[in-house]
Amino acid sequence: MFHRERSPLLWLLLQAAVAATWCFTDMEAGPGGAGVATQPNGEYGFKIEGRAVVPGVKTQDWVSTARVLVEGEEFVGFLRTDGSFAVNDVPPGSYVVEIVTPNFRFEPVRVDITSKGKMRARLVNYIKTSEVIRQPYPLQIRASGPHSYFMKRETWGWTDFLMNPMVMMMVLPLLIIVLLPKVVNTNDPEMRKEMEQSMNMLNPNPELPDVSELMTKLFSGSKGSSKASSSSSSKGTRPAVKRR
Amino acid sequence: MGLQRIILQSRGQHLSQHHTKRRLVDFRLPPSHEEQVEATAAMEKLILLWLKCLILCSTVEAVFEDQVGKFDWRQQYVGKVRFSHYDTHAQSSKKVLLATENNVFAALNTRTGEILWRHVDKTGPEGTIDAYLQHGQDAVMVVGNGRLLRSWEINVGGLNWEVVLDSGSFQSACLVGQQDTVKHVAVLKKTALSLHYLSNGHQKWIENLPESETVDYQAVYSGGNGEVFALGVVSHSHITIVVYSVEDGEIIKQISVEAPWLSDIQASCAVVGQGILTCVDSATVSLYMLDLHEQSQMTQIPLQTLGLEAAPGFHPTLVSTQPNPARPPLSEFFIQLGPEHHLLLQLSNDQIVTLRDFKPAMLVSFATTGEKTVAAVLSPKNQTASSLNLFSAETGRRLLDTTLIFNMDPNGGKPEKLYVQTFLKKDDSVGYRVMVQTEDHTLTFLQQPGRVIWIREEALSDVVTMEMVDLPLTGTQAELEGEFGKKADGLLSMVLKRLSSQIILLQAWVTHLWKLFYEARKPRSQVKNDVTIENLSRDEFNLQKMMVMVTASGKLFGIDSKTGTIVWRHYLDNIPSNAAFKLMVQRTTAHFPHPPQCTLLIKDKDTGLATFHVFNPIFGKKSHITPPTLPQPILQSLILPVMDQDYAKVLLLVDDQYKVSAFPSTKNVLQQLQDMASSIFFYLVDSSQGTLSGYRLRTDLSTELIWEVVVPTEVQKIISIKGKRPNEHVHSQGRVMGDRSVLYKYLNPNLLAVVTESTDLHPDRSFIGIMLIDGVTGRIFHEAVQRRAKGPVHVVHSENWVVYEYWSTKPRRNEFSVIELYEGMELYNSTVFSSLDRPHAPQVLQQSYIFPSAISTMEATLTEKGITSRHLLIGLPSGGILSLPKMFLDPRRPEIVSEQIREENLIPYAPELPIRSEWFINYNQSVSRVRGIHTAPSGLESTCLVVAYGLDIYQTRVYPSKQFDVLKDDYDYMLISSVLFALFFATMISKRLAEVKLLNRAWR
Repeated sequence: MFHRERSPLLWLLLQAAVAATWCFTDMEAGPGGAGVATQPNGEYGFKIEGRAVVPGVKTQDWVSTARVLVEGEEFVGFLRTDGSFAVNDVPPGSYVVEIVTPNFRFEPVRVDITSKGKMRARLVNYIKTSEVIRQPYPLQIRASGPHSYFMKRETWGWTDFLMNPMVMMMVLPLLIIVLLPKVVNTNDPEMRKEMEQSMNMLNPNPELPDVSELMTKLFSGSKGSSKASSSSSSKGTRPAVKRR
Repeated sequence: MGLQRIILQSRGQHLSQHHTKRRLVDFRLPPSHEEQVEATAAMEKLILLWLKCLILCSTVEAVFEDQVGKFDWRQQYVGKVRFSHYDTHAQSSKKVLLATENNVFAALNTRTGEILWRHVDKTGPEGTIDAYLQHGQDAVMVVGNGRLLRSWEINVGGLNWEVVLDSGSFQSACLVGQQDTVKHVAVLKKTALSLHYLSNGHQKWIENLPESETVDYQAVYSGGNGEVFALGVVSHSHITIVVYSVEDGEIIKQISVEAPWLSDIQASCAVVGQGILTCVDSATVSLYMLDLHEQSQMTQIPLQTLGLEAAPGFHPTLVSTQPNPARPPLSEFFIQLGPEHHLLLQLSNDQIVTLRDFKPAMLVSFATTGEKTVAAVLSPKNQTASSLNLFSAETGRRLLDTTLIFNMDPNGGKPEKLYVQTFLKKDDSVGYRVMVQTEDHTLTFLQQPGRVIWIREEALSDVVTMEMVDLPLTGTQAELEGEFGKKADGLLSMVLKRLSSQIILLQAWVTHLWKLFYEARKPRSQVKNDVTIENLSRDEFNLQKMMVMVTASGKLFGIDSKTGTIVWRHYLDNIPSNAAFKLMVQRTTAHFPHPPQCTLLIKDKDTGLATFHVFNPIFGKKSHITPPTLPQPILQSLILPVMDQDYAKVLLLVDDQYKVSAFPSTKNVLQQLQDMASSIFFYLVDSSQGTLSGYRLRTDLSTELIWEVVVPTEVQKIISIKGKRPNEHVHSQGRVMGDRSVLYKYLNPNLLAVVTESTDLHPDRSFIGIMLIDGVTGRIFHEAVQRRAKGPVHVVHSENWVVYEYWSTKPRRNEFSVIELYEGMELYNSTVFSSLDRPHAPQVLQQSYIFPSAISTMEATLTEKGITSRHLLIGLPSGGILSLPKMFLDPRRPEIVSEQIREENLIPYAPELPIRSEWFINYNQSVSRVRGIHTAPSGLESTCLVVAYGLDIYQTRVYPSKQFDVLKDDYDYMLISSVLFALFFATMISKRLAEVKLLNRAWR
């Protein structure tokens, strides 16, 4: 019965480890440089042009739900029936151009317009704001696929059940417990002592109240079994005693 | 460098973290408690581990695909209609196109009223639709005071073309046709007239208008003979008519005609018949006519000679129609002589003939199908209904079988506009449908003989404020409540009462079962789930509530939160256009015999004068309670937790003389106020003066100034002040840290977050300031300045934290900053918080992050007891509503991860906040122009109700820590029961086997 008692805690520790690694993967790389400064001179009349494509979908099926947002909602453009767009009347500056549709995901692009009207497009990088990775201009924006708004329901299958770490942890010790007595003679007192030691080493936090122990105490008390009371002196050896 | 800058900015964080560490070392518990602590620490560890799993799960919280539409709904709106055209190019078309005051252009399905497609332009004057002309499949519009000329393809809803127009304020536009084909559109601006091709928007020619400094050009007209007329007026002097050739823009003719009575062509003139400019003047009570092609003199026809008389003080107006822009207008036109008096006139051989006199007639409209033009006239029938009739435009004869009865909603407004869609029936007679627009922005689409096909409440596109009110209990539930509420009167009667209520419950259950059985037999389509006031009742978990919504037009709505059905509506007329609204729940549904009560404070922003509307939020009926009249401008209103004998919360109003009045103001209330006066504090803000002042109530209901903070208006201005929500609960007093000590939160309910913005808007010198100030004592706890930042700033203030978002000008990105306040390792007074007795200033931690999108609005989730972890709900311009775990905005997020921090489950610091598409709580149901998000707790601790409103309304539920208190909807009952059975049998078998083995061993 050893595996039953230990595995919930082990499982929790494993989960915690997963949590920690998951946290690490979220980290992002270091510092950036200064941003490009273009002075807006108040002269209007520049135009941001481009074309958006959703591979495999006819334009008329999605253009009516799409909008081109320049820097939030500061300037708004609409898509033509062929997927091309032009945002008129934009003063010089640097803008994040984004195509928003409820169903498809487009990557935003940063467009810089100098006061002379020179245009360039580059990848958006909010951390290294001055980094320039050129993109084609007039903009060519391809949808990177549909938005994945939904989570998958956990469907239940036999393989999921068997590959579950909890089950694995249950099955493996079970095998060991069944096979070990066949290999090693547990009646040997030396062997028993060794096992006891190894058990103590496995338990890192002695102050942790053992839930399973509490439970066995509780239940054994009610049933009045004499075997359980004898085992409470050393929890490490208890499984062995119980089995005998 | 960006990263470094952010960290440097949050200097407060580093300082206070250092501080925290020092305190950690000092922290020791008395030795006698040591053992207990060990035990609790161990328990804590377990709980922590369990929490870890919970949090791990909660961060991947999202919508499941099978939950779509299960508890969420969206309603899309377009706003108040400014222009509307029916799609006429196909006889069987089911489209009506609307251009609205909210800068929306949309196509509706006339059969269902649903939106086929919709284009939402920028808000404000830059997106205003100035003119809308329709020709075939093209919808041409002038946008942004003549900034852009756009053409839409109305079938698909895509853009045909868009061109930038030359600068100058827009006056008028018209389609220009030649030889029965329309190829051009003419746009008249203050100084120039331009002609554009309809096919691609290219400019054919642009000509400056002669003498545009003195002449005010107001209208453009084309009759289809290769000429474009620009009509201008020199106020109270003469009309100038400039005739251009369509071909090359050459001026063919330029005349000016004496018209000393005229100042506004659009308001008083119309072109009728073969290019006859007809004007009406109220001073001389005459019609003036001018043939644009020949004459140079206006002919005056006094209305008296036609036997007509205008209502005194009424400015008569003319309505003409030009069904085909390639041909001149019809010679029939309407003249309105009084609020309910219209006449159909005809111009034949320079003579005006009265075809028909309509009195009373509220609204008139022309409609054309094929070659037939009809006039539709709406006339009042009785108090609640009016009738619409069609008349032949040529003769003025009433067409047979064209009466339509329009029943007006007694809680709605008066009809304002008619949009008539006519079609030819098989027998060549004219059939029609009509869209009636009323003052409360409602669109009603009707067909004969008065059947309402659909109603759209467009007032809901402009929700200003809202509240969610618990639904009342049903009769049986109330009966049960009553049993416990009453005083005990003897054992026997109590037993009897219990028995009777149990019987009532049984009865209700049987009827419910019977209903279920009865409905199950019926085909599914017939089962209607109509929501009415009668069957509205609180559900088990209080998930269904009444949404009381206040719109800018002054129309109030009661919407069932489960289905989105409008349960009641109430139009308040004579609401000032610049009104500010404040909605307060004075009495909830919890006090059974007393009806729930909401109070709406309507304040005119200019005069400061306010009025009340007191109503029942469940039925929408106006309360019989007479609210006090407020002769003085109101500065502040606050709702106190004090109740009168009827369980209505007391509302305090502060007028500009700093006098306080109470509503309700019964003796009981005044007595309570007198007793409590010394503990009632309030604050006033004057952003124009930059002052923030705190007052205290005196027993005679006068006030005294206690503190004042002046923000110099030359440098910065106060843009927002946020307090905490009064109905917020915080469950946990502190945070357990990695070393098992507790960091106590600073939970000051009187704390205000004051956000200021610099007046200097230069990108290098602008800044955003935030100040945390105690509303009672005026003590400033923390001040932070974000340099090179500008608004708009969005603030959320809750628990012990303030989150705000601003635009950082140098790196050009949106940034979030979070401030958290902690008391430290010890709590000064754990039982009660008093602003007057807190000697220690709180520790302040601050951290900033990059947010990779602009935001529209922001709110925090709210739950019943505050146990559930908090999420921030962020409305994005793309229409998504992002649910961002507050865990990501935690100033204790470390840069270097240590063992203890891992134990605490803090996410390591990353400068950029992630946006994952699974975090969008509204999946693809995007909400346009989110202006506000309202969160309300439900009866379940795990569940928070969310309503996002803007142009659309979206209602859903969120579970920030997953549904930990109810079984999930995908709970696998089959699996759990089969596992249970399997285990049961396994134990049985193994028990038997063990017994056999023991027996065998005993024998051995």
